[in-house]
Amino acid sequence: MKILTTVKKVVDVELTIHVKDGAIVEDGLQYVINAWDENAVETAVRLKEKNGAETTLVSVGGGDNTDMIRKCYAMGIENGIHIDDPALEKADAAIYARVLQKVYEKGNYDLVITGKQAQDTDAGQTGIILAEYLGLPCVSNVIGVEVVDDQHLKVSRAGDAGTEIVELTLPAVITVDVSINEPRLPQMRGIMMAKKKPINKMDLAALGTSPDEIGAAAPKSEVIEFMASKTRKAGQKFEGDAAEITAKVVQLLADEAKVL
Amino acid sequence: MAKVLVVADIKEGVLKGSTVELLSKARAMGAEAAVVAIGSNIESLVPTLVEAGSDTQYIADDPGLALFSAGPFASCVVDAAKQSGADLVWFGFSEGGKAVAPRVAAQLDAACASEITDVTLEGGCIEIVRPAITNKVMQRVKVNTPRLAAVVRAGAFEATEGIGGTENVVKLTPPAPDLRAVIKELVSDASGDIDLTDADVVVSVGRGAKNQAGVDLVKELANDLNAGFGASRAMVDGGFLAHNKQVGQTGKIVAPSLYIAVGISGAIQHLAGMTGSKVILAVNKDPEAPIFNVADYGIVGDLFEVVPILREEIQKVRS
Repeated sequence: MKILTTVKKVVDVELTIHVKDGAIVEDGLQYVINAWDENAVETAVRLKEKNGAETTLVSVGGGDNTDMIRKCYAMGIENGIHIDDPALEKADAAIYARVLQKVYEKGNYDLVITGKQAQDTDAGQTGIILAEYLGLPCVSNVIGVEVVDDQHLKVSRAGDAGTEIVELTLPAVITVDVSINEPRLPQMRGIMMAKKKPINKMDLAALGTSPDEIGAAAPKSEVIEFMASKTRKAGQKFEGDAAEITAKVVQLLADEAKVL
Repeated sequence: MAKVLVVADIKEGVLKGSTVELLSKARAMGAEAAVVAIGSNIESLVPTLVEAGSDTQYIADDPGLALFSAGPFASCVVDAAKQSGADLVWFGFSEGGKAVAPRVAAQLDAACASEITDVTLEGGCIEIVRPAITNKVMQRVKVNTPRLAAVVRAGAFEATEGIGGTENVVKLTPPAPDLRAVIKELVSDASGDIDLTDADVVVSVGRGAKNQAGVDLVKELANDLNAGFGASRAMVDGGFLAHNKQVGQTGKIVAPSLYIAVGISGAIQHLAGMTGSKVILAVNKDPEAPIFNVADYGIVGDLFEVVPILREEIQKVRS
């Protein structure tokens, strides 16, 4: 089986984000591997370890992604592709999906695993749109996966009515939730080996496409302004005798907030 | 006039409040409002859909649509969108909506947006507002296509009751089943539970509950309040509650009148899912827990001691 995972470099959401003049202030920002993509990488590596597979990751955009890709190598991914091009600066999910479609078509993969969403946009679209472009079946929000045979997977999906167990025919795309696994911490041996592995860096031309072909010349949507979120203020906090303060708070919920 | 197609959110044969919210917004914008309902034995919902403000009801009613499957559901929405000529295709905030909206966008060559909180149409140009980066910032996004498929964040739009519309039912041809992604089973079905995204009150339990006895204790509080019962990621990963009970960035986004967080410290991923609530009450024994930074009312104390008193006092106030 040939597995392709997608990995995005994103801003570290644990840090404070400042907005000035409609843009995010870059000073002090740090970038990390998207949390859901780490789960995608871990899923690919576990499938490889259990069933045998060739694993490749692709990262689109984001400047220097070397450290992130080497971390994925250290986790057990074998091949890494980095597609970067100035034309991708304002890429939306549809454009990313078109780039990934080109990568897929060059590699003839059996399974694409993406994170369910990226923590910079929280959009959750790219993997699903990629499946549409490729004409492949797709299950999103996957929380469990196992190989049935060469052509089928059994996947669990967290749906609205409960956990859906789906039999999926390969080739296919899945997007995974953080609940699917706990990504491993790379071991020293893996880290050392990862340093020597090459990264296949390409721009759009080297990938065999162009900004016009993938839609980068005319994105379907574009962010025109960032704004600070409305933040809630800390309200009244009560400490002391449990019976006393709880009774007080219940009265406030009833009389002041009027929600009881 | 703009045309909006609202994708009805149906759970166990009942229309969820989010559909009424979306139809209300469409009518408030002066748009022509159509709705598409997909499922099995759902034709009886037509009067409700008319009352909620739709002027055309696209109905895909077929036993093969009883269980959610993103491919066939997307086909139905695309069919209705093409027939209605909708500029805007809106989904309520659900796992189904999140799975189907990008497919619909791709098939219609439309832009796609997730979790929008506002939308404006000026001179045929669509703009939306949405949160990003775990709710830490908001984005204003310009849509460059004539059509937009969008998932609307829970509680973003106000529901107006009894708007009323016109009955004009269009039956859709059921799509072929997707044989490449076949649902074999539906497990851990929380049938009968109050839906988190539709509940007026939500009680959520976190790591502070420690064990099943703690979870059960908090569940009793939820039962008293006829509230939706949710959890932080730690409790879902710990196997105490099903995945569809997780409140947060990666699970359900809720916006009830009252949100009670019990034993939840308040990781940003959890906060991203519940800070749209009107009023927040937090119970936590750590006075420095981040949850208190967003709570309107905070009780610092051990939940095993506080929750029974809370139940008793709420009963007193209500009686």
